[in-house]
Amino acid sequence: MFMNAAIIGVGQSIYVRRPQPGQSTHTFIRDAIVAALQDAQINAREIQGMAVTSFSLAPDTAVDLAWRLGVSLRWLLQDTNGGSSAMNMLGHALRGVETGAASPILVVAGDATGLGGYAKIAANYNIATREHLAPLGHGGPNGVYSLVTARQMNKYGVTKSDYGHMAIAQRAWAANNPFAVYRAPLTMEEYLAAPMVADPLTRYDCVPVVAGAQAIIIAHPDRCPRGRAPVRVRAIRNSFNYDNQEGDGLQTGISTFAEELWQTAGARPHDIDVASIYDDYPAMVLAQLNDLGMIPDHDLATYARREIGERRVAINTWGGMMSAGQPGGPAGGLNGISEAVLQLQHRAGERQVKDARVAVTTGYGMTLYRYGGTAAAAILERME
Amino acid sequence: MSAGVGIWRCRTCGTGYFPERLLCSRCHGHDFVSDRVTEGVVEEITVIRHVLGQTEWQPRRLANVRTVNGPRITVGLRDESEPGMTIELFEEANAPFGAAKPVP
Repeated sequence: MFMNAAIIGVGQSIYVRRPQPGQSTHTFIRDAIVAALQDAQINAREIQGMAVTSFSLAPDTAVDLAWRLGVSLRWLLQDTNGGSSAMNMLGHALRGVETGAASPILVVAGDATGLGGYAKIAANYNIATREHLAPLGHGGPNGVYSLVTARQMNKYGVTKSDYGHMAIAQRAWAANNPFAVYRAPLTMEEYLAAPMVADPLTRYDCVPVVAGAQAIIIAHPDRCPRGRAPVRVRAIRNSFNYDNQEGDGLQTGISTFAEELWQTAGARPHDIDVASIYDDYPAMVLAQLNDLGMIPDHDLATYARREIGERRVAINTWGGMMSAGQPGGPAGGLNGISEAVLQLQHRAGERQVKDARVAVTTGYGMTLYRYGGTAAAAILERME
Repeated sequence: MSAGVGIWRCRTCGTGYFPERLLCSRCHGHDFVSDRVTEGVVEEITVIRHVLGQTEWQPRRLANVRTVNGPRITVGLRDESEPGMTIELFEEANAPFGAAKPVP
């Protein structure tokens, strides 16, 4: 439990499908930072620490970004863990503030690769991908997670329409998120008729690449603007290379720490009011929820169809990356954290979950060869 | 085209790896010998039908394959093999591929 560190502000840039002339990774990141500082009512001069992640910041690094932002720091981190980078940075920043290393700390993530840039990143994600998958024409992560999805369907009896209920529910949440790139209602007919991308994944199973950025501010809870509840992190855990790629990919690294996470947080799955589950693919949402112990009897199909599909549980209430868009893997993870903060501070507007008090957020990513190698989860609570 | 797919086998405990590792995850030995796996069982297949930024793309079949006495690997399929079938493995331009075993 962090007693002297909390999330006090959030901000984001616009999300766009294609960056326009004059827009870059750097400008999206700037816009998110400006919004977060304004939200937290903090002057840029006060920032003592910064954590950043991006697939498209290079050749710049974190210190280049500090220079361009005109902030002098005593704590700096650049994270490279893809879909769990945001969660990783959150943990480091909380410990940084809690121990007095720096405060406030700015955590930011953003990308503006464009489709061509994204394709290059996907083919050169790591040495294993470049040498052993790209020569096959694997199509980036869609190819990898099509095989994982097929495995999940066989093992758990999940059907295509079960995943469809998840996509439709998230689109319904996105309708009330002005930043989401896709907000129009999605029907089951449209979902099932969508073109196949990589069997069994169709268009609405594949997260749309966008350009954009997110930022959050970590500081002592006393720095939270008046009249707003700070958001405390009760527990946070990470996992890296949990099984050496020797499993089936249907469990994530969350399975290695879930029980410890709940015990440390003093909470159980039924306490959760809002969940932000990293959603690059619907199959991985179910895998993470299953690892967290949130799916009764490991009945993934029923949970997808009824709990998520009928919106009996509040999962990815900003529309998730599936509807809001994925600005690289990293910023998408930070979007989930930001949404949990807005929900717990009762500032989520028309998509507000009534009396939200406790949330779970996750991250998942960095496909090593057959599936992701990083995962993280945290339990957040509204401080009264 | 060369028969079989090259893997790396721990000299100490015999565990096979693909792709190459620096240490064996079972015994943490650092000495590996080259080996080849020649066949495996198809576990899942996919067809890559659309790739970002590609306009002239031709669909390609990929499979997750459980090799005999070796690791699970992702291969390109050169035929219509389906899950459950045993296929023979080979390399093209150092990339792993597979196709149904010819009938003797």
